[in-house]
Amino acid sequence: MNTPELERLLMQQPVSLLHRLARGRISRHFRSGKRKLVDLLLQASAENRPGLESDLQTLIDERAQRPQPAPLEKTRPAQARSRQAVPATPRPHRHDDHGHHEPPVSLHEWLSGIGVPPPQPFVPDAWQVEALAKLAETDVVVSVPTGSGKTYVAIEATARAMRENRTVIYTSPLKALSNTKFTEFSRVFGPGQVGILTGDRREHSQAPLLIMTTEILRNLLYDAAGGEIDVRLDTLGLVIMDESQYLADPERGVVWEETLIFCPSQARLLLLSASIGNPQDIADWLTAIRPTPCSLIRHTKRSVPLRAGYLHPNEKLTPLFRTAGIPYGQPHLLHPEAKRLFMEYEEETGPSRSR
Amino acid sequence: MPPSIHPVDLVATLRQRNLTPAIIFLTSRRACDEAMQSFERSQVTLPKAQQEQIARVLTQVTEQFPSIAEHPLIETVQRIGVAAHHAGHLPSWKIAVEELMRTGSLDAVFATTTLAAGVDFPARTVVVTQSSIRKARDFTDLTASEIQQLAGRAGRRGKDLVGFAVITPSPYIDLTVLTKGLTGQPEAIHSQFVITYPMVLNLLKAHPREQIQSILAKSFAQFQLNQRTAVLETKLDSLRAEMEPFGPRVCSDWITQWQVFEQARKRKKPRSPFARQESPDVAARLHFLTPGRVVGVTRGRGIILRQYRSKGQHAPMVTLLREGGSLNECPASIVTQVFDRTFDCEETSAYPWCTPQTLEQLTHHLTDLPPRLPILPILAHQHEETPIDSSIIQTLGDFACPTCPSRQACQRDFPRASRVRQEIQRHIKSIQALQTSLWHRFQERIDVLEKFGYLNATAQLTADGEWARLIRIDHSLLITELIRAEAFGAIDPPLLAAIMASIAHDDDRPGSFPRGSTGLVTLLFQVRKLAESLTPHEAPPMLRADVAALTERWVSDQTLTWIGLARLTTMAEGDMFRLFARTIEFLSQLKTLKATHPSLAESADHAIAAMRRGVLEELP
Repeated sequence: MNTPELERLLMQQPVSLLHRLARGRISRHFRSGKRKLVDLLLQASAENRPGLESDLQTLIDERAQRPQPAPLEKTRPAQARSRQAVPATPRPHRHDDHGHHEPPVSLHEWLSGIGVPPPQPFVPDAWQVEALAKLAETDVVVSVPTGSGKTYVAIEATARAMRENRTVIYTSPLKALSNTKFTEFSRVFGPGQVGILTGDRREHSQAPLLIMTTEILRNLLYDAAGGEIDVRLDTLGLVIMDESQYLADPERGVVWEETLIFCPSQARLLLLSASIGNPQDIADWLTAIRPTPCSLIRHTKRSVPLRAGYLHPNEKLTPLFRTAGIPYGQPHLLHPEAKRLFMEYEEETGPSRSR
Repeated sequence: MPPSIHPVDLVATLRQRNLTPAIIFLTSRRACDEAMQSFERSQVTLPKAQQEQIARVLTQVTEQFPSIAEHPLIETVQRIGVAAHHAGHLPSWKIAVEELMRTGSLDAVFATTTLAAGVDFPARTVVVTQSSIRKARDFTDLTASEIQQLAGRAGRRGKDLVGFAVITPSPYIDLTVLTKGLTGQPEAIHSQFVITYPMVLNLLKAHPREQIQSILAKSFAQFQLNQRTAVLETKLDSLRAEMEPFGPRVCSDWITQWQVFEQARKRKKPRSPFARQESPDVAARLHFLTPGRVVGVTRGRGIILRQYRSKGQHAPMVTLLREGGSLNECPASIVTQVFDRTFDCEETSAYPWCTPQTLEQLTHHLTDLPPRLPILPILAHQHEETPIDSSIIQTLGDFACPTCPSRQACQRDFPRASRVRQEIQRHIKSIQALQTSLWHRFQERIDVLEKFGYLNATAQLTADGEWARLIRIDHSLLITELIRAEAFGAIDPPLLAAIMASIAHDDDRPGSFPRGSTGLVTLLFQVRKLAESLTPHEAPPMLRADVAALTERWVSDQTLTWIGLARLTTMAEGDMFRLFARTIEFLSQLKTLKATHPSLAESADHAIAAMRRGVLEELP
């Protein structure tokens, strides 16, 4: 047999046979495709052509002796029969995993329900009531989604402390937020009742409710520890720390820790935080370092439901997910239309993600 | 298709779908401003009623903050009901926009994703156009917390039945990041506790050094370190359980004992650098296989032409001239007999290893040799062992191991037991490190403060430490060192404010600025030198000359208006405001040094008074 003949014969064989033939002749032969494999076989056996030929012949004979696989038409009923035999275990189906046989939500459905709720008397949420009840006995860490009504808890708690003639300190991370809260609380409690402290300015610094940045409170605490007497700290009944997730801020987080460590023990703590992953840790920490235990109020449900949408640059709007609401924990449940449009976008804008 | 939707079309679509008011988060301040500009050309105008509402709200806010009245964007905002809200704006303007959003007068606000935390007002819809933000000169993917913070602004309590988060693609978007962020859990937060110089001074002022460690133990940092410690401790417990079967045997510390014994035993057998695997008789013969020697091989006889060692195994080899004149390279072991007969052989250094004449002569000699030749008697004496180092024998003598009853068990268990023991020791070390790391860092700071003379050898505050503890801002060491170096001896308020501004400013946004006075340039040069010398102990501030010059101008020229100052630079108004606010904060720290540095405190007071005018007076 000359080389072209042998090559032709090899090419005619199924690839599995070629792999068997390559065993011991070529290392890592499973990595190569059929064409490459044939070339490698011819190369490897340049010295021992008769050996290869005889091995090949043996394998071909072996294959011929094995019963021919039945044609496809015949096997199908057999498979069907076996399937009938075990009806209790249906084959896992992709859609079964997702649990979504229902069609994706339509745009109309997704957009429905926009509007202003009818005015109704304000009823505090269960978590707000619980937080206020807990605050009567313990420190409280609140971790709820943005816009859930943390301010309501702050206002009610402040009002209660003020009734008991205790001073309240409210800290926020940003001066801008301090200013907003100053305006807001002045509206609620009356202008004389609310003071604001910044680096060098104090307005109504003896008011029962003092608003300041966390740095200012930290400095007050250090001054008190250094021996300065501050009446405000002696009558301090409640410290509210807004946006407590700043505890993890790379530059300023340490100030939150210092403040919490040195916060007078007679004062209650109310930590208001956006949703974070480990609020229990913070509650446990405060329980460990302060004489009063610390409770955690946590919930993840938004008070106004959220829906996610996708707006294509051609102004076409579709829901982002198959469901109207956000499918928590299932980021793959994309709406087919949004998926299609985004793929289109990516294709047309080219390698968009390489900045 | 455009790379992203045009802002005007975006707002139009939102309006048409009844998805307003909306907050639209864009990549940068510039993107926000450009979006606003694109509206200036558009023909869309608001219905009269809404325009009037905006005007009403703005008038209200203007009463409190007169500076808004001159804002160039007012007209556009009123006409189109859309505004921008970012850190480049004055706080008063941002308050006005927030108020407009709260009253529901605006349809859309363009904001930067970077400052999402500062956007503290809700809307019906939030539009997200990117999946990463610039953090410290680098783009990082938004975290789930950040995405939820953005989306959380959607849906106003009591005003909306549902809120919407709409994603619209831009060249900076990875949809997976956003969908995962929307549906995922927010990340856990981690302590960022650092030990600062003012912290050390203030703690040592109030507490003796012995108590500090227990105070540091109260930090969230230590709490989280303890959590890691707890994990290590459970691991340690399981390791100890694993160690149980390897408890004391005949000797209490058998692992160490065995380890030392093993080492000694290994040392007993020194590895010879040249281990030759030849049998004693071959080795003995080698001395006689010299060129010209007649030897007997299995078949016939031959004459040795050279002896050498093979390259690979260093096996002894010979080149043999056989009967018939052939030259063979063969191992020395092929030689069966060494005869007591040699011929002269003139060697050469290359094949055939002797001169052609010699080769011819030798071939002749070989054929002429008598059939019997006297055999050379060679005594093959046994290979003598190198004596064991006496010191090792002595040490080995100290070990009971060779005769110990548990020798077998020790030999079997040693590899596992020693590995487990190493693991245990490693864990104990890491636990100790976790428990004491904060305290070590604290002590490092104490050492630095002692070196500079703020603390004495017993870690008590010196006179300098007493006032230095009142400076509780970033770069406190640089500032206190400047004060001690009397850099601020009898300093003018403008110059003091300028230096403080350059220390306080930590933004690297480029801009054009006025020139500083020569006095400022000289002083700033000195400050830079000092900051550089402090680098091992404190990261130096940027000390930008341009922001210093801007501050100097604002403080020294009392007739200069805010608008006039803004014309001197390309810095955004919001950045200018923040620079001055931070400078005032730093100056007010100097003001607290009234008791020890009265002239400096007075100068700081004057500087603050001079800075607080115009826009800076509006907010507390």
